Amino acid sequence: MEKAIPSEEIVLADQTLWHTDRQPAGCSHCRRVYLVAANYHGTDCPLCRKGILEAQPAYVRRAAPEKMLPFRITQKALLPIYERFVSGVWIKPEDFNPQSLLNNTRAVFWPLWLVDSDVSGPWQMSAGFDYQVESAREVYTDGRWHSQAQIETRLRWETRLGTLDTRVDNVITPALEEHENRMQMTGPYPLEKSHDFDASLLGGAFLELPDIPPETAWPLARPDIDKALTKICQEAAGAQHFRDFTMRARFGEQNWTEFFLPIYTTHYTDDEGQPQVLVINGETGTIRGPRLASRQRGGRIAGIIGAVAGGLLLLALLGLLLTVVFPPGALIAGVTGILGLAAGILAIVVAIWPGQWNRKQGGPRIAERP
Amino acid sequence: MSEDHIHTQPWSPPEGYHQVESRVPGVVVFAPEPEHAPDDQAVSYACPNCGANTAYDVAAGGVACEYCGYVAKVKTAQVGRFADDFEFTLETLSQARQGWGTQRQVLHCDSCGADLSISEGALTTVCAFCASNQVNVITSPQETLRPRFLIPFKIPPEETLPRAKAWLGKGWYHPDALRSNVIVRRFYGLYLPFWTFNAMVNAKWRAQIGYQQTERHYNASQKRWETRTRIVWKWESGQVNLTIDDLLISGSAPQHLSHRILGELNPFNLNELVAYSPDFLAGWQAQAYETTLPEAWEMGKKNIRELAKKACYQDMPSNQVRNFTMHADFSDESWRYILLPVYLAAYRYEGKVYQVMVNGQSGVVAGSKPVAWWKVWLAIAAILTPGTFLTLIGLPLALLGGLGILAIALGIILFVGGAIISINLYQHVRKSESN
Repeated sequence: MEKAIPSEEIVLADQTLWHTDRQPAGCSHCRRVYLVAANYHGTDCPLCRKGILEAQPAYVRRAAPEKMLPFRITQKALLPIYERFVSGVWIKPEDFNPQSLLNNTRAVFWPLWLVDSDVSGPWQMSAGFDYQVESAREVYTDGRWHSQAQIETRLRWETRLGTLDTRVDNVITPALEEHENRMQMTGPYPLEKSHDFDASLLGGAFLELPDIPPETAWPLARPDIDKALTKICQEAAGAQHFRDFTMRARFGEQNWTEFFLPIYTTHYTDDEGQPQVLVINGETGTIRGPRLASRQRGGRIAGIIGAVAGGLLLLALLGLLLTVVFPPGALIAGVTGILGLAAGILAIVVAIWPGQWNRKQGGPRIAERP
Repeated sequence: MSEDHIHTQPWSPPEGYHQVESRVPGVVVFAPEPEHAPDDQAVSYACPNCGANTAYDVAAGGVACEYCGYVAKVKTAQVGRFADDFEFTLETLSQARQGWGTQRQVLHCDSCGADLSISEGALTTVCAFCASNQVNVITSPQETLRPRFLIPFKIPPEETLPRAKAWLGKGWYHPDALRSNVIVRRFYGLYLPFWTFNAMVNAKWRAQIGYQQTERHYNASQKRWETRTRIVWKWESGQVNLTIDDLLISGSAPQHLSHRILGELNPFNLNELVAYSPDFLAGWQAQAYETTLPEAWEMGKKNIRELAKKACYQDMPSNQVRNFTMHADFSDESWRYILLPVYLAAYRYEGKVYQVMVNGQSGVVAGSKPVAWWKVWLAIAAILTPGTFLTLIGLPLALLGGLGILAIALGIILFVGGAIISINLYQHVRKSESN
């Protein structure tokens, strides 16, 4: 790690960075590292909600981030999102309600790398060119011929090769080990709306720091750089399609900068007392995370309904005995017996449903880290 | 994609590639060289031995020098009907190869307006279309498409005059002077432009088909059962698939070259198509197309759709048809621009120009010939005379009774039959006279 990240990139625990008042702090549980205002020291980690943020030195590039996508969704606008999210769950944990989720909400910016690099070298591809063909349709009706031209688009493949000497800019590359998981949690961002990094737009948000250094991220960047090069060569050849692109590339003058994307996180506590973290895309409002029902509450409610069912069945039994001396008592016995059976079935359903519901809750969850 | 940090040797494109326009700065793009690019170079036909002009020699099958006997075989491949064809792309004309690939010039005949492409140096010639020597040089049109394939001459020039003489001598209603050796002095070997078209056609038809039905009915007035036939019409539909293979359309303008005569030269055996080489044109004339590809394709489509219509009628279960409609969908249409060998001669007889052509591949002769009309009228008179005579004889006999009516009837029948024969003869003779 020391070899990958130069020592001058170490930022001490009490140092601020990027013209902000934020200092490095790490989670005692998941080891995620953030830049936070000093008054957030000692608060819950906004992503795992299991550890406390403690001041610590961090490996950070001192060069300011290049771009950011600010929050479009305000915290107030989260309430209806939470309401919709919660409404589908029948027997919820105590704090799985919109207001509680809103109270627990934290704003976080999470990082990507932007890679710039000089590229040169020979390339080759099969370039596909669309072309149009005129086909004929001759119609004979009422004793006369009518001609109709039909235009059809076809594809022609030709070899194109050559050399490239250019610079690719702002190729987006993962900066977190859990990048894929994070993208699944947030869904896509409208990256074309991003603009230059501006510390004044950070507000009270946590800045999550990269845990993949550039040297490690380089192999991850290559597929997207290759895609960018392919697109450049395709455009240069004037082709509409391509396949079998190969290039013997030489890279130089690389530049790595951060690109921050907005999320909100919140949580509720499940039956085991574990925090269940929800993630909301700060740009699109997409919310993802576990939507669990409470088996404990379900059990309690089922117990109450079961007791009522038992009472009703007892009454039904008494009514049945009463019929010996008072024949209309059969009616009471029948009614209470049916009600008792219905309540008993309801109790069973209430006891079983949370477990069944929870079993169906797949979907992405925030990555667990030791 | 590989990464090579120690790559030091400068990159150069493989052989057969040339640089093309790049739409992105910093990116150099190479594409394969177009096919037959060497043919774009001008070719000089001087004998490497003696420096005299060489020309394609039919008998030798190569470019030959008549002075020193030098012969060079033409480097080409017989492709036949498998010769490449081209789609009807919207950019076909701009993409098509242009020019003739050798130093040729177009001679414009002021007399009949024909354009002739001839070898460098032959600034004047006798126009093969009108026998006029009033020619002058104009610039070769750049939009001329390049021919890709041709059928070389197989009939030597010296065989053309005997064949033509034999052909001219045929037919009793032509002037006897046509049998003279001097009426046609010389044939010009000429590569004529043709378009060939291929297509698949799916023709769907719908029509009312009439079926004859025989039924019995009771005739109340006659008080008996009778049989009568009536046609029952039923809507029916069907489809036929046609494969059009190498439909030939002349690329010459009809006002310069008789399409009727050209049609009588068919068939050409397209299995003998070879890849175009300017060597075949050395010392020979070649005509650039005057009918453009879209114009020729329009003619081709008209022919094809009529073929499709005929096929639809053949698909029907009855000859009784009404309310016929059809849709002919073309697919896989393609074209070729080829040159076919034709010997052409024009001769004058009593101030009028006639064309004679010899198929340079098969030797078939066709053309137009003057008519000795006195022979024709004499023949027609001879044909009509028996009927007329018999009718005239029959008239007085009829007044006297007896066989007169029979003679008149026979006379009228002979006259009508003679008239029909005469009309056919007249049309046939007119056709042989016209270009």
